[in-house]
Amino acid sequence: MAKNSQPAMCSPVSGGDYDRLETLLKNLPGMAYRCLNLKHWPMDFVSDGCYELCGYQRHEIESQQVLWGDFTHPDMIDEVDRKVRSAADSGQPFEVEYRIIARNGQEKWVWERGRAVDRRSDGVVILEGFITDITDRKRTEAALVRAEAYAQAIVESALDAVISVDDQGAIESFNQAASSMFGYRSDEIRGHHCRSLAATSFYREFDRHFQRSQTPTKIPLTSIELNGCDKHDNEFPIVLSMREILDVGEKKYVILIRDLTQQRLAEREVREQRDVLAHVDRLNTLGEMAAGIAHEINQPLTAISMYAQSGLRFLRRPQPQLRRLEDALEKLSQQAHRAGAVIERMQEMTRPHQSHQEDVAAEHLLQEIHDLGEVEAQIRNFIIVLRLDDDLPRVKCDPIQIQQVILNLLRNGMESMRANHCKPGSKIVLQARTTPTQVRISIIDGGLGVSRKLEKQLFQPFATTKASGMGLGLSISRSIIAAHGGQIEFNNNKTVGATFSFGLPRQPD
Amino acid sequence: MNERDPQQLVYVIDDDEAVRDSMGMLLESADLPYCCYSSAERFIAEHDGSQRGCLVLDIRMPGMTGLELQQQLAQMGSSLPIIFMTGHGDVPMAVEAMRHGALDFLRKPVNEESFLERIAYAFDQESGDWRQKLDRDQARQRIDSLTEREHEVFLLVAEGLANKAIASDLGISERTVEVHRSQVMKKLGAKTLAQLVRIYLQSE
Repeated sequence: MAKNSQPAMCSPVSGGDYDRLETLLKNLPGMAYRCLNLKHWPMDFVSDGCYELCGYQRHEIESQQVLWGDFTHPDMIDEVDRKVRSAADSGQPFEVEYRIIARNGQEKWVWERGRAVDRRSDGVVILEGFITDITDRKRTEAALVRAEAYAQAIVESALDAVISVDDQGAIESFNQAASSMFGYRSDEIRGHHCRSLAATSFYREFDRHFQRSQTPTKIPLTSIELNGCDKHDNEFPIVLSMREILDVGEKKYVILIRDLTQQRLAEREVREQRDVLAHVDRLNTLGEMAAGIAHEINQPLTAISMYAQSGLRFLRRPQPQLRRLEDALEKLSQQAHRAGAVIERMQEMTRPHQSHQEDVAAEHLLQEIHDLGEVEAQIRNFIIVLRLDDDLPRVKCDPIQIQQVILNLLRNGMESMRANHCKPGSKIVLQARTTPTQVRISIIDGGLGVSRKLEKQLFQPFATTKASGMGLGLSISRSIIAAHGGQIEFNNNKTVGATFSFGLPRQPD
Repeated sequence: MNERDPQQLVYVIDDDEAVRDSMGMLLESADLPYCCYSSAERFIAEHDGSQRGCLVLDIRMPGMTGLELQQQLAQMGSSLPIIFMTGHGDVPMAVEAMRHGALDFLRKPVNEESFLERIAYAFDQESGDWRQKLDRDQARQRIDSLTEREHEVFLLVAEGLANKAIASDLGISERTVEVHRSQVMKKLGAKTLAQLVRIYLQSE
């Protein structure tokens, strides 16, 4: 098509205007065109941008040596054609994105917008429009899609439940792990409040956490542990954390939930094993204490028997002394209770015991342990000195297990003192001191001390220096104290013997 | 039960208050006077050799043990019979106690009848001991009143020597021996030779 025919096809534009238009067109990031809506769109005008876009000069295109359709990717040409045609027919502007193949064989994505501007006398529609290179944008978009797919894949394959919610708490997405954890399909839970994933008894806690997540804060939010509730109303332990997603526009949150069921089972198993071992150790201790216990029970029995005989004698006198008989019976009954209490204490040691920590008065606990320890000390002819701070606070502990630990340490200390040939009447100290966070309990003996060699195997189960005993005591004691959040420490005293100590957490006042 | 010496007491020494108290009541019901101590040390503090009766002693006590008290009393020349009691019944200790002259060794809880029998037996024995001690003291006192020469004659008479042999042994006349001898009989309050010999034996 000849260049001079252009003005005739164009809307009325004066010559000077046309030059300005030319300059304007030159600077456009793309190519403006006018063409016929025929097969492969023969162009009779293109702007200079054509060279950058497809590698052909204006005259090559305008002379129609090459047609635009030649560049259009064969996979897409039909679709582009369909869209353009239908827009042209209805007189609407069209917008298409498609690929072209440039002169050097490079593929590019282009965006084109155009419209029918006129119709030739033979009925062929004349199109005008603009085509620009959007390869970069397309590439970014593809990268974005890939990144999203990647993120999606991570979320979907995560072992933890990943749930996103809007600022009202309505669930927007629910990953595979969430589905298998809670039993809901993602589409059936969407829109429900995320609170419904918690057990009813934990709603308040859940809401509080959700509110806290919504208040802007610099302090990183900790996770909370609570019971979740699945579709079939089964409760199970979970740990949950919530975080705001930085999103344009409205606020969104992502909730991560981990099912703690297995962890709890494992923890319980460990606890149960410790309980069983502790029980075995208590039975063993009891066996070793048998002589002392027999003595403890024998004393009241002796008294009971003598009170009974005395009573009979008072009764059988020619003039029965009923007052004395009454005294005898009263005292007898007291002694029966005394014996009963001893047995009760022993039973407590033999009973299988499920560990549970409670709020205990330290002084009372230690006094009781001291009394029980005395049973053994007497047999060995040693003295347990109880040295307590005034006003000992209350502690959080399992009293039976702590009793076991202290008795163990006292017995070890006394064994060591015997091995060290301590004189009868030698002292072993049971001491309790108050610190800001703990009650620190120490057992200070006058024995052989802990040798380097012994130090290494001290807490090993079944390692023992004693002829009797299973060597479980210290290893059990250590795990009991660990369960109380502490550890058993020991060091040799300056003069003689060793000190073993551990802390029990103070109960807040 | 035999006739009792009113000065005899049962000394109960046990660190367990209930055992002490019930034993006291049992002794009371048997009309036996008694006195309780909560430790061996307390008993030792009051002991001055004038105590009569017997000891009922717990073998194991914090501080001084029963065995230690037994030894200390022996060193002090006490002849108080000791009945040991134990809640443990350990044989080595019993053997040790018996070897040092314990009267008996009873296990807790004790059989009350045999316990009271043992007390009675201990009292009898202690009475005998006491009388013997009195006799010995008396005999020694009398012997002490003899002059040196009289004492020499007394020993030879007690050995069964005739006056003639004594006279030749001591290098004095038979007549002088006779005078000393009658003086000895008088001072010792012995009417017959047999009585003199008994005094001699009592003093040993």
